[in-house]
Amino acid sequence: MNRSHHADKATGVGDPQCFKGEAGPAKFKAGDRVRVKDLPDIFYTRTMQYCRNVVCEVVIATHESPAAEDEAWDNCDNPEWFYIVRFKQQDLWPEYPDTYSNDTLQTELSERWLELV
Amino acid sequence: MAEKHNHDHNHAPMVEEISDFEVLEIAVRELCIEKGLFTIDDHRQFTEYAHNIGPLPAARLVAKAWLDPEFKKLALEDGVKASLEVGIDWITSPPTDFGTPSDYCDLRILEDTATTKHVVVCTLCSCYPRPILGHSPEWYRTPNYRRRIVRWPRDVLSEFGVNLPEGVNVRVEDSNQKCRFMVMPMRPEGTEGWTEEQLTEIVTRDCMLGVALPHPDRKHNAKRPIHKAINPVHGH
Repeated sequence: MNRSHHADKATGVGDPQCFKGEAGPAKFKAGDRVRVKDLPDIFYTRTMQYCRNVVCEVVIATHESPAAEDEAWDNCDNPEWFYIVRFKQQDLWPEYPDTYSNDTLQTELSERWLELV
Repeated sequence: MAEKHNHDHNHAPMVEEISDFEVLEIAVRELCIEKGLFTIDDHRQFTEYAHNIGPLPAARLVAKAWLDPEFKKLALEDGVKASLEVGIDWITSPPTDFGTPSDYCDLRILEDTATTKHVVVCTLCSCYPRPILGHSPEWYRTPNYRRRIVRWPRDVLSEFGVNLPEGVNVRVEDSNQKCRFMVMPMRPEGTEGWTEEQLTEIVTRDCMLGVALPHPDRKHNAKRPIHKAINPVHGH
Protein backbone atom coordinates (compact mmCIF):
# COMPACT_ATOMS: atom_id res chain seq x y z
CA MET A 1 0.00 0.00 0.00
CA ASN A 2 1.38 3.39 -1.00
CA ARG A 3 1.01 5.64 2.02
CA SER A 4 2.82 8.64 0.57
CA HIS A 5 0.99 9.21 -2.73
CA HIS A 6 -0.55 12.42 -1.36
CA ALA A 7 2.83 13.78 -0.27
CA ASP A 8 4.47 12.75 -3.56
CA LYS A 9 1.82 14.64 -5.50
CA ALA A 10 2.03 17.80 -3.40
CA THR A 11 5.81 18.09 -3.00
CA GLY A 12 7.13 21.22 -4.66
CA VAL A 13 3.64 22.09 -5.92
CA GLY A 14 1.67 22.69 -2.75
CA ASP A 15 -1.59 21.38 -1.36
CA PRO A 16 -4.30 22.31 -2.54
CA GLN A 17 -2.45 23.52 -5.69
CA CYS A 18 -1.73 19.89 -6.62
CA PHE A 19 -5.46 19.26 -7.26
CA LYS A 20 -5.85 22.21 -9.61
CA GLY A 21 -7.90 21.38 -12.69
CA GLU A 22 -9.24 18.08 -11.35
CA ALA A 23 -12.73 19.14 -10.28
CA GLY A 24 -14.14 20.41 -13.56
CA PRO A 25 -16.08 23.66 -13.74
CA ALA A 26 -17.24 25.24 -10.47
CA LYS A 27 -20.96 24.87 -9.92
CA PHE A 28 -21.41 28.15 -8.01
CA LYS A 29 -20.15 31.67 -8.58
CA ALA A 30 -19.73 34.76 -6.43
CA GLY A 31 -23.10 36.21 -5.41
CA ASP A 32 -25.05 32.94 -5.64
CA ARG A 33 -27.53 32.32 -2.81
CA VAL A 34 -27.02 28.82 -1.47
CA ARG A 35 -28.23 26.70 1.42
CA VAL A 36 -25.90 24.50 3.47
CA LYS A 37 -27.18 20.94 3.34
CA ASP A 38 -27.52 18.89 6.48
CA LEU A 39 -25.83 15.72 5.25
CA PRO A 40 -25.10 12.74 7.50
CA ASP A 41 -21.54 12.70 8.83
CA ILE A 42 -21.11 9.66 10.98
CA PHE A 43 -17.37 9.33 10.33
CA TYR A 44 -15.76 12.70 9.70
CA THR A 45 -16.74 16.18 8.59
CA ARG A 46 -15.57 19.77 8.75
CA THR A 47 -19.01 21.30 8.25
CA MET A 48 -20.09 22.87 11.49
CA GLN A 49 -23.53 22.20 12.94
CA TYR A 50 -24.24 25.89 13.40
CA CYS A 51 -24.36 26.60 9.67
CA ARG A 52 -26.49 23.67 8.51
CA ASN A 53 -29.74 24.45 6.76
CA VAL A 54 -28.82 28.13 6.76
CA VAL A 55 -28.84 30.22 3.57
CA CYS A 56 -25.69 32.16 2.70
CA GLU A 57 -23.95 33.89 -0.18
CA VAL A 58 -21.01 32.56 -2.18
CA VAL A 59 -18.06 34.99 -1.90
CA ILE A 60 -15.48 33.20 -4.03
CA ALA A 61 -14.52 29.76 -5.35
CA THR A 62 -11.12 29.28 -3.71
CA HIS A 63 -9.51 26.03 -4.80
CA GLU A 64 -10.06 22.38 -5.72
CA SER A 65 -9.37 19.60 -3.26
CA PRO A 66 -10.78 16.30 -2.10
CA ALA A 67 -13.55 17.02 0.40
CA ALA A 68 -12.44 16.63 4.00
CA GLU A 69 -14.94 13.78 4.38
CA ASP A 70 -13.03 11.84 1.68
CA GLU A 71 -9.50 12.99 2.38
CA ALA A 72 -9.77 11.86 5.98
CA TRP A 73 -9.91 8.30 4.61
CA ASP A 74 -7.13 8.81 2.07
CA ASN A 75 -9.58 9.05 -0.80
CA CYS A 76 -8.31 11.66 -3.30
CA ASP A 77 -10.25 10.36 -6.31
CA ASN A 78 -12.94 13.04 -6.55
CA PRO A 79 -11.65 16.55 -5.88
CA GLU A 80 -14.32 19.23 -5.75
CA TRP A 81 -14.52 23.01 -5.58
CA PHE A 82 -14.35 24.82 -2.26
CA TYR A 83 -16.08 28.13 -1.59
CA ILE A 84 -15.85 30.90 0.94
CA VAL A 85 -19.45 31.64 1.91
CA ARG A 86 -20.89 34.52 3.92
CA PHE A 87 -23.73 34.34 6.45
CA LYS A 88 -25.60 37.14 8.11
CA GLN A 89 -24.99 36.66 11.81
CA GLN A 90 -28.71 37.12 12.45
CA ASP A 91 -29.44 34.09 10.24
CA LEU A 92 -27.15 31.94 12.40
CA TRP A 93 -27.96 33.03 15.94
CA PRO A 94 -31.52 33.78 17.08
CA GLU A 95 -30.49 36.30 19.73
CA TYR A 96 -28.13 38.35 17.52
CA PRO A 97 -29.14 41.98 18.09
CA ASP A 98 -30.83 44.12 15.44
CA THR A 99 -28.37 46.92 16.18
CA TYR A 100 -25.66 44.83 14.55
CA SER A 101 -27.73 43.31 11.76
CA ASN A 102 -24.93 43.92 9.23
CA ASP A 103 -22.45 41.68 11.08
CA THR A 104 -21.40 38.64 9.06
CA LEU A 105 -19.55 35.36 9.37
CA GLN A 106 -17.58 33.64 6.62
CA THR A 107 -16.45 30.06 6.39
CA GLU A 108 -15.42 27.53 3.76
CA LEU A 109 -17.45 24.62 2.48
CA SER A 110 -16.99 22.13 -0.31
CA GLU A 111 -19.41 21.91 -3.21
CA ARG A 112 -21.28 18.82 -1.98
CA TRP A 113 -22.54 20.78 1.02
CA LEU A 114 -24.19 23.56 -0.97
CA GLU A 115 -27.40 23.82 -3.03
CA LEU A 116 -28.86 26.80 -4.87
CA VAL A 117 -31.95 28.36 -3.32
CA MET B 1 2.90 7.32 44.68
CA ALA B 2 5.99 9.43 44.40
CA GLU B 3 8.08 9.77 47.51
CA LYS B 4 7.55 13.07 49.28
CA HIS B 5 10.15 15.60 48.20
CA ASN B 6 12.67 16.18 50.93
CA HIS B 7 13.43 19.89 51.33
CA ASP B 8 16.74 19.72 53.15
CA HIS B 9 18.67 20.70 50.04
CA ASN B 10 18.66 23.89 48.03
CA HIS B 11 17.67 23.77 44.37
CA ALA B 12 15.04 25.31 42.13
CA PRO B 13 11.84 23.30 41.70
CA MET B 14 12.17 20.90 38.80
CA VAL B 15 9.93 18.56 36.85
CA GLU B 16 9.99 15.13 38.43
CA GLU B 17 7.70 13.32 36.06
CA ILE B 18 7.40 12.82 32.35
CA SER B 19 3.90 12.95 30.90
CA ASP B 20 2.29 10.14 28.91
CA PHE B 21 2.35 12.38 25.84
CA GLU B 22 6.08 12.97 26.16
CA VAL B 23 6.66 9.22 26.46
CA LEU B 24 4.47 8.68 23.40
CA GLU B 25 6.29 11.37 21.39
CA ILE B 26 9.70 9.88 22.21
CA ALA B 27 8.52 6.35 21.38
CA VAL B 28 7.01 7.35 18.03
CA ARG B 29 9.97 9.55 17.13
CA GLU B 30 12.50 6.80 17.90
CA LEU B 31 10.44 4.28 15.98
CA CYS B 32 10.26 6.60 12.93
CA ILE B 33 14.02 7.09 13.01
CA GLU B 34 14.62 3.34 13.42
CA LYS B 35 12.29 2.59 10.48
CA GLY B 36 14.01 5.21 8.32
CA LEU B 37 11.00 7.51 7.83
CA PHE B 38 13.24 10.42 8.77
CA THR B 39 16.69 10.82 10.27
CA ILE B 40 17.64 12.33 13.59
CA ASP B 41 19.09 15.23 11.64
CA ASP B 42 15.75 15.75 9.83
CA HIS B 43 14.06 15.83 13.22
CA ARG B 44 16.45 18.48 14.48
CA GLN B 45 15.72 20.51 11.35
CA PHE B 46 11.92 20.24 11.88
CA THR B 47 12.30 21.24 15.49
CA GLU B 48 14.44 24.25 14.65
CA TYR B 49 11.95 25.31 11.99
CA ALA B 50 9.07 25.01 14.43
CA HIS B 51 10.94 27.07 17.03
CA ASN B 52 11.98 29.78 14.59
CA ILE B 53 8.66 30.73 13.00
CA GLY B 54 6.91 33.83 14.32
CA PRO B 55 4.67 36.77 13.38
CA LEU B 56 7.36 39.16 12.08
CA PRO B 57 7.11 38.24 8.38
CA ALA B 58 3.36 38.85 8.48
CA ALA B 59 3.89 42.19 10.21
CA ARG B 60 6.32 43.22 7.49
CA LEU B 61 3.86 42.10 4.83
CA VAL B 62 1.19 44.38 6.29
CA ALA B 63 3.64 47.30 6.57
CA LYS B 64 4.71 46.82 2.95
CA ALA B 65 1.09 46.74 1.81
CA TRP B 66 0.35 49.97 3.71
CA LEU B 67 3.17 51.68 1.83
CA ASP B 68 2.87 50.13 -1.61
CA PRO B 69 -0.59 49.96 -3.29
CA GLU B 70 0.69 47.56 -5.96
CA PHE B 71 1.96 45.15 -3.31
CA LYS B 72 -1.29 45.50 -1.41
CA LYS B 73 -3.19 44.46 -4.52
CA LEU B 74 -0.97 41.39 -4.88
CA ALA B 75 -1.37 40.54 -1.18
CA LEU B 76 -5.16 40.60 -1.44
CA GLU B 77 -5.17 38.58 -4.66
CA ASP B 78 -2.51 35.99 -3.92
CA GLY B 79 -1.30 35.73 -0.32
CA VAL B 80 1.08 32.87 -1.08
CA LYS B 81 2.87 34.85 -3.80
CA ALA B 82 2.97 38.02 -1.68
CA SER B 83 4.52 36.02 1.19
CA LEU B 84 7.61 35.42 -0.97
CA GLU B 85 8.37 39.16 -0.71
CA VAL B 86 8.84 38.77 3.04
CA GLY B 87 10.85 35.56 2.75
CA ILE B 88 8.11 33.02 3.36
CA ASP B 89 7.73 30.27 0.80
CA TRP B 90 4.58 28.34 1.70
CA ILE B 91 5.15 25.74 -1.01
CA THR B 92 8.61 24.62 0.06
CA SER B 93 8.55 25.28 3.77
CA PRO B 94 9.94 22.42 5.85
CA PRO B 95 9.48 19.71 6.88
CA THR B 96 7.51 18.35 3.95
CA ASP B 97 8.14 20.75 1.06
CA PHE B 98 4.41 21.14 0.54
CA GLY B 99 3.64 23.06 3.66
CA THR B 100 4.01 21.56 7.10
CA PRO B 101 1.26 19.06 7.84
CA SER B 102 -2.03 20.98 7.93
CA ASP B 103 -0.33 24.18 6.73
CA TYR B 104 -2.09 24.16 3.41
CA CYS B 105 -0.85 26.70 0.89
CA ASP B 106 -3.82 28.99 0.37
CA LEU B 107 -3.27 32.18 2.37
CA ARG B 108 -6.11 34.69 2.21
CA ILE B 109 -5.53 38.18 3.56
CA LEU B 110 -8.61 39.94 4.91
CA GLU B 111 -8.54 43.71 4.51
CA ASP B 112 -10.17 45.76 7.26
CA THR B 113 -11.95 48.91 6.09
CA ALA B 114 -13.63 51.86 7.77
CA THR B 115 -16.83 49.78 7.87
CA THR B 116 -15.62 46.16 8.22
CA LYS B 117 -13.53 44.60 10.98
CA HIS B 118 -12.35 41.01 10.50
CA VAL B 119 -11.53 38.52 13.22
CA VAL B 120 -10.17 35.00 12.67
CA VAL B 121 -11.03 31.76 14.45
CA CYS B 122 -11.00 28.04 13.78
CA THR B 123 -14.03 26.64 15.56
CA LEU B 124 -13.02 23.07 14.72
CA CYS B 125 -9.64 23.25 16.36
CA SER B 126 -6.63 25.41 15.48
CA CYS B 127 -6.17 26.20 11.73
CA TYR B 128 -3.66 29.05 11.69
CA PRO B 129 -1.28 30.55 9.08
CA ARG B 130 1.79 29.20 10.88
CA PRO B 131 4.47 29.70 8.20
CA ILE B 132 3.93 33.46 8.26
CA LEU B 133 2.46 34.04 11.73
CA GLY B 134 4.21 31.41 13.87
CA HIS B 135 2.40 29.21 16.35
CA SER B 136 -1.04 30.18 17.54
CA PRO B 137 -1.44 31.63 21.03
CA GLU B 138 -2.90 29.28 23.62
CA TRP B 139 -6.18 31.23 23.90
CA TYR B 140 -6.78 30.88 20.15
CA ARG B 141 -7.09 27.13 20.60
CA THR B 142 -9.36 27.19 23.66
CA PRO B 143 -13.02 26.11 23.31
CA ASN B 144 -13.90 29.30 25.18
CA TYR B 145 -12.60 31.56 22.40
CA ARG B 146 -13.67 29.27 19.57
CA ARG B 147 -17.26 28.85 20.60
CA ARG B 148 -17.86 32.42 21.76
CA ILE B 149 -16.18 34.51 19.04
CA VAL B 150 -18.53 33.20 16.34
CA ARG B 151 -21.67 33.90 18.31
CA TRP B 152 -20.83 36.93 20.47
CA PRO B 153 -17.93 38.50 18.54
CA ARG B 154 -18.47 42.00 19.91
CA ASP B 155 -18.44 40.83 23.51
CA VAL B 156 -15.28 38.81 23.00
CA LEU B 157 -13.56 41.66 21.12
CA SER B 158 -14.51 43.93 23.98
CA GLU B 159 -12.76 41.57 26.39
CA PHE B 160 -9.64 42.01 24.23
CA GLY B 161 -10.06 45.79 24.59
CA VAL B 162 -11.54 46.42 21.16
CA ASN B 163 -14.86 48.26 21.34
CA LEU B 164 -16.29 48.82 17.90
CA PRO B 165 -18.72 51.62 17.12
CA GLU B 166 -22.09 50.85 15.56
CA GLY B 167 -21.04 51.84 12.04
CA VAL B 168 -18.31 49.19 11.93
CA ASN B 169 -19.53 45.73 10.98
CA VAL B 170 -17.83 42.66 12.38
CA ARG B 171 -16.94 39.85 10.00
CA VAL B 172 -15.87 36.61 11.68
CA GLU B 173 -13.79 34.29 9.53
CA ASP B 174 -14.16 30.67 10.61
CA SER B 175 -11.12 28.98 9.10
CA ASN B 176 -11.95 25.32 8.81
CA GLN B 177 -10.68 23.88 5.53
CA LYS B 178 -7.51 24.49 3.49
CA CYS B 179 -7.49 28.31 3.38
CA ARG B 180 -5.49 30.12 6.02
CA PHE B 181 -6.40 33.66 7.05
CA MET B 182 -4.73 36.75 8.46
CA VAL B 183 -6.13 40.24 8.90
CA MET B 184 -4.66 43.34 7.30
CA PRO B 185 -5.70 46.03 9.79
CA MET B 186 -6.14 49.67 8.83
CA ARG B 187 -3.07 51.86 9.14
CA PRO B 188 -3.59 53.98 12.25
CA GLU B 189 -3.42 57.75 12.36
CA GLY B 190 -0.20 59.18 13.71
CA THR B 191 2.02 57.06 11.47
CA GLU B 192 2.34 59.50 8.58
CA GLY B 193 5.79 59.39 7.01
CA TRP B 194 6.82 56.24 8.89
CA THR B 195 9.22 53.76 7.31
CA GLU B 196 8.50 50.08 6.70
CA GLU B 197 10.60 49.18 9.78
CA GLN B 198 8.64 51.54 12.00
CA LEU B 199 5.29 50.32 10.72
CA THR B 200 6.32 46.67 11.12
CA GLU B 201 6.88 47.29 14.84
CA ILE B 202 3.25 48.20 15.52
CA VAL B 203 1.62 45.35 13.60
CA THR B 204 1.39 42.80 16.38
CA ARG B 205 0.22 39.22 16.17
CA ASP B 206 -3.12 40.05 17.75
CA CYS B 207 -3.69 42.82 15.16
CA MET B 208 -3.34 40.19 12.45
CA LEU B 209 -5.78 37.82 14.16
CA GLY B 210 -8.22 40.71 14.41
CA VAL B 211 -8.50 40.93 18.19
CA ALA B 212 -6.44 44.13 18.48
CA LEU B 213 -5.96 47.35 16.54
CA PRO B 214 -2.54 48.77 15.71
CA HIS B 215 -1.59 51.87 17.61
CA PRO B 216 1.46 54.11 17.07
CA ASP B 217 2.47 53.76 20.72
CA ARG B 218 2.11 49.99 20.98
CA LYS B 219 5.08 48.08 19.58
CA HIS B 220 5.58 44.34 19.64
CA ASN B 221 9.13 44.77 20.86
CA ALA B 222 8.27 47.27 23.59
CA LYS B 223 9.76 46.74 27.04
CA ARG B 224 7.39 44.85 29.33
CA PRO B 225 6.70 46.40 32.72
CA ILE B 226 8.34 44.49 35.56
CA HIS B 227 6.33 44.23 38.75
CA LYS B 228 8.07 43.19 41.93
CA ALA B 229 6.67 40.05 43.58
CA ILE B 230 4.45 40.76 46.56
CA ASN B 231 5.62 37.63 48.36
CA PRO B 232 9.07 36.93 46.94
CA VAL B 233 10.48 33.39 47.26
CA HIS B 234 13.84 33.50 49.05
CA GLY B 235 16.82 31.30 48.44
CA HIS B 236 16.42 30.67 44.72
